Amino acid sequence: MQYRATLWLRDSIRTIPKLQLRPTQRCRYATAIDSPELFDVVCVGGGPAGLSLVVGLRASKTTSNLKIALIESLDLDKGRMRNPSPDVYSNRCSSLTPASVRYLQEIGAWSHIDISRVQPYQEMQVWDGITGSRIAFDWEVNTRRDVQPSTIAYMIENQNLTTALQTYLEKLGDITVISPVRVDSIDLGNSTPELDLRSWPIISLSNGRRIGARLLIGADGANSPVRTFAGTTSRGWDYNRHGIVATLKLSGSGWGGEGYKIAYQRFLPTGPVAMLPLPGNMATLVWSTVPERAARLKSISKCDFLAMVNAAFRLSPVDLEYMHSVSSGQQEEFEWRVKHSAADSTKVPMEVVDVQDGSIASFPLKMRHADTYTGERVALVGDAAHTIHPLAGQGLNQGQGDVAALVSTIQAAVETGADIGSTLSLEAYNAKRYAENNAMLGVVDKLHKLYAVGSGPIVGLRSLGLKAVNEIRPLKKFFMKKAAGV
Amino acid sequence: MLQSVRYFSNARSQNHQSSVDPTEISHFNMLASSWWDPHGPSRLLHLMNPLRHEFIARCLSSQSDPATNSRLQYLDIGCGGGIFAESATRLPNTASVTAIDASPGVLAVAESHKRRDPLLMSPGRLRYLNTPIEKLPKPASEAEKYDIITMFEVIEHIKHPASFLSSAIPHLKPGGWVILSTIARTWTSWITTKVVAEDIARIVPRGTHDWNKYINEDELSTWFLQQGGWESPRSVGVIYVPAVGWREVPGSEKLGNYFFGIRKLPV
Repeated sequence: MQYRATLWLRDSIRTIPKLQLRPTQRCRYATAIDSPELFDVVCVGGGPAGLSLVVGLRASKTTSNLKIALIESLDLDKGRMRNPSPDVYSNRCSSLTPASVRYLQEIGAWSHIDISRVQPYQEMQVWDGITGSRIAFDWEVNTRRDVQPSTIAYMIENQNLTTALQTYLEKLGDITVISPVRVDSIDLGNSTPELDLRSWPIISLSNGRRIGARLLIGADGANSPVRTFAGTTSRGWDYNRHGIVATLKLSGSGWGGEGYKIAYQRFLPTGPVAMLPLPGNMATLVWSTVPERAARLKSISKCDFLAMVNAAFRLSPVDLEYMHSVSSGQQEEFEWRVKHSAADSTKVPMEVVDVQDGSIASFPLKMRHADTYTGERVALVGDAAHTIHPLAGQGLNQGQGDVAALVSTIQAAVETGADIGSTLSLEAYNAKRYAENNAMLGVVDKLHKLYAVGSGPIVGLRSLGLKAVNEIRPLKKFFMKKAAGV
Repeated sequence: MLQSVRYFSNARSQNHQSSVDPTEISHFNMLASSWWDPHGPSRLLHLMNPLRHEFIARCLSSQSDPATNSRLQYLDIGCGGGIFAESATRLPNTASVTAIDASPGVLAVAESHKRRDPLLMSPGRLRYLNTPIEKLPKPASEAEKYDIITMFEVIEHIKHPASFLSSAIPHLKPGGWVILSTIARTWTSWITTKVVAEDIARIVPRGTHDWNKYINEDELSTWFLQQGGWESPRSVGVIYVPAVGWREVPGSEKLGNYFFGIRKLPV
């Protein structure tokens, strides 16, 4: 399926005798120079979703003949992880579900991951910040007799994943990587006597290059230019919350030791605070809170920040509210107040003793869902299709699910000779993913809203619900399987 | 049955120029503009297309001897807007596709749609001819013959199917396959294609089908085997399940839509 623009322009004139060329159109070499370079698949966005997609297509025998281009505005090569230090971790981490890992293994990408920087965890402690009701998710205790994966998920730096995918992509070869180059505009092509590109998206790049796509894939994030080109509306709302992330050092490797890591999440009325294990004594923080508190957390001293993180897992919402309101002195406040706290120290993460310099950052939290993932010659994956609250750690996994489904849709189209960009070929992808993502977005959104309530009957009911789920093992197993994607 | 025997005899039509009914041609000319609309009247044909390829692949893999060719040449008779012809051209093991149709209107649509795909435009891959099979020049040598002759949803629109098939057969290589799909003439097919599809659900325009022209699968295989020189007839029924799509249902070839394949004996 390698096209040579000039070749078919020249030859097709001979093969369509019916089409009479007007003298003005006979200047065909001028047309050929202006013609965009054509690809079967053009993926905009070289993040985890875009990279997995092009690698997935290239690694599959069925789709390996497709002519593929990947466009990324940032310098992909500069973004690679090089000689990383074992005690320095990126603050952009994700929790990869076993389903996502299985897909990465299937396409052959997982073996390129720096596994020493990946931390599987076997237990998850989730509790209500107001009532203290707890639910412990752990495969061992509840499914001792079943053959179940003992790992709930794998913590990984996004950069570790994208570096592995790039290494693998280079090894596979034959993908045109265009980076760092911006997309200036996307328009539909023209019709010439030789070729009708009026349904083909033509991408004009910041380096002056023009490329046409049989299928244009938007893996270009929440503000997707591809989605805008497709005219697809993305609906949702802002949570008026910011997510604070940071790379932390704990006093030890965790209560379960190196071989049994635990993730912690406490639902506070302003949003959940989560601490997820990284190798050794390291951990990553995701704390969603109101923008004013997020701003203060970023501005206070290191000692006060550490005190706030430790307090977030130990003190009552009333104590926390006070500590958020003062501009300094959180460390002293915490030391005094924690003595009177009833928190069982083994049921909360080990004490945070340090935070990696420059790792504290924040981002606004949103919920968005595109009305559809497909159009003629367009498909959206990952954040371009949906943005989710990070409380369940599903964002990147949803993107991997999209990629797996889109790759299999394209495979089916190639096997039956369909045009991979046609609406009919792409319908199956939308059908496979839309409802599933919508359900996940809905559940996570409701969870956020449920736990944002600080007092009243709902607080009692949700604690009852959490306790009930904790007691009813089949139900708990069901939730765990959903979260693991198995 | 009586009716079908009448339609399906060799006796008549040797003097006919074309087996295609002129009213059928005008009907399909009318459909031309919406042929490639994924939500238009041809949606069911589009959805059926992948199953055609699966059926062909199964026919080919059922051969004990190797295929006539590693890169296949197709003749698609009654190609319409080119749904099958385009897809067959894109397959990696296709050398070329010649697609013919008697209706100039739909063929213009096919030609115009072909221009949307540079792959189809590469020389020698896909050729459309506005001709009935009777007027397609007979092959001068074995090399000009085809490995696969397809007629999808065609024979039920033909006045004289026997003479139609007789005109097609000389174009097939020994060891090649005739593959077709059509609708069995049963009370269920009358209800689904005439009453439900055309009148109630309006999935296809009224007048698309003439139930009296439907041919049953056993009539087809009997006709071929009586001619001599044919082997391995196979068929499978397909049923359209709303919201799911087309599904193969073994045994349903006796009820409605079905695929039929038969192989010319290799030399």
